[in-house]
Amino acid sequence: MTIEKILLEFSPVAENILPALKKINADFGFIDKLNAQKVADYFSTSLSKIYETASFYDAINIQKQPKVTIKVCFSTHCALKDAAKIITEIEKILQIKAGDTNRLNFKLERISCLGRCGEGPIVVVNDKIYEKVTVGSVRGILEEYM
Amino acid sequence: MDNTKIITAHWGKIDPLKISDYIELGGFLSLEKFVEHMSPAKAIAEIKKAGLAGRGGAGFQTGQKMEMVADNSAHEKYFICNLEESEPGTYKDRMIVDHNPHLLLEGLVISALAVGAHKAYIYINGNYTTQKELLEAALVQARQKNFWGPGILGSRYDLDIEIFSGAGAYICGEETALINSIEGHRGEPKIRPPFPTETGLFGKPTCVNNAETLSNIPWIILHGGEKYAKIGAECSPGMKLYILGGAVKKPGVVEAPTGVTIRQLIEKYGGGVTPGKYFWFAQIGGASGKLVLENELDIALTFSRDCPIPLGSGSILVVDKSANIYDLILSWTEFFRRESCGKCVPCREGTFRLHEIAERLQDGKISDRDKEALQDILWTLENTTFCPLGRFSATAMRDAVEKLDILND
Repeated sequence: MTIEKILLEFSPVAENILPALKKINADFGFIDKLNAQKVADYFSTSLSKIYETASFYDAINIQKQPKVTIKVCFSTHCALKDAAKIITEIEKILQIKAGDTNRLNFKLERISCLGRCGEGPIVVVNDKIYEKVTVGSVRGILEEYM
Repeated sequence: MDNTKIITAHWGKIDPLKISDYIELGGFLSLEKFVEHMSPAKAIAEIKKAGLAGRGGAGFQTGQKMEMVADNSAHEKYFICNLEESEPGTYKDRMIVDHNPHLLLEGLVISALAVGAHKAYIYINGNYTTQKELLEAALVQARQKNFWGPGILGSRYDLDIEIFSGAGAYICGEETALINSIEGHRGEPKIRPPFPTETGLFGKPTCVNNAETLSNIPWIILHGGEKYAKIGAECSPGMKLYILGGAVKKPGVVEAPTGVTIRQLIEKYGGGVTPGKYFWFAQIGGASGKLVLENELDIALTFSRDCPIPLGSGSILVVDKSANIYDLILSWTEFFRRESCGKCVPCREGTFRLHEIAERLQDGKISDRDKEALQDILWTLENTTFCPLGRFSATAMRDAVEKLDILND
């Protein structure tokens, strides 16, 4: 879908800025400068205003993302269930560091609570959620994406 | 009164996708009663009489908040249901939607009509995609039954409801940040006053209430505020959802009255500490909550300002002696560093430095200078940040230093 078509789904009022940005992010993977300018024009606001909003939220990217993004919940309940060891294991398997954004294929990051505390530790790969992950089960999950 | 169930009454008995199941069990009778026999002022009077305190954590009197908006003469007003639940260890609002979204909607419609709003938003956590779908389905069915929309149940009331999905920001649970987010801005908090009840969404009077708070409203309208006020603790009556987690036998969400002790929650509702594990401490109210040791377990949890342990979101995390405390400290400090919105310097810098110290603590490289700086940072967070998030970011670390003596181990 083109960006113009996406924008036309929303009436150009302020309360649709965030939903529109989320939709564009979902379709394009991130908001590039050209698209941000189109959003700004559509909502009759400035480019800086759109970036101000887009850069704030976790669910919106303003940079091109690697092919595979792995997120590990590191909030209290998951941290107590050895999320740190799971992160170390992923770092070992993929030879990357958590928080390192300078990669083409894989990105690993620690994230905040998703409200699935009973089912932790939680790992999210490209929006697919894995529950009750263990150090032993990580490799199997990653192999689907390698 | 211990057996009363208000929020969880129909859990497991109804299909969340079928409004008819809920209606069969007496659902929406409360809305009918409100529309046919009650004035908005009378409904708010009942809620005030009930003494219902906001279940999001702050514990502000719901009736009082609603009255402030209802009394405002502005023609345009908004009502917002706060379902941006993102406190670590808290998933009670998600469970409400999972098990009975109709109860929440009924509470929302009554409350919105009572304050005189014609438009209501449900601000839902962006990660709750399944729950958003459940709510959408419930809204469609409720619309067919004329429970919202124009001319509700043949009356002159009308109400439009819209679901607004968040985009992953803990701070958006704070009401002014939430409003900023709907308006398309960064989700940063605004200075109060003016309070949202005066100048809220799009500059209009706005009533923001937590999803659990609203789920109590139908019961109050149906049975009366006086009866509700007799449940639980006198200072902040009612039933409350508690989320039990960590080293307990039966983790999960339970409904219990306010005023229960932490020990009762762990022993009676949680089945006790997991066999083979030994209680070390509990954290009450999520990552921003206080730590309690064995000798404080008999404290009754209420929303009163006099309660030494703030109940917060109602999350009870039991930590046993085998837990890795350094992982937990890293988790707390990293969470607040990541979620600090960056608006004020004390929080933006304070949470960052606190996390650095936590990292050095884990590596065993903490210096005397760090220990001194830690005290300064905690003081700064507690006293000078713009919004409560900054203040709460110091709570767990402060208790870990003072109660668990982590610096001298």
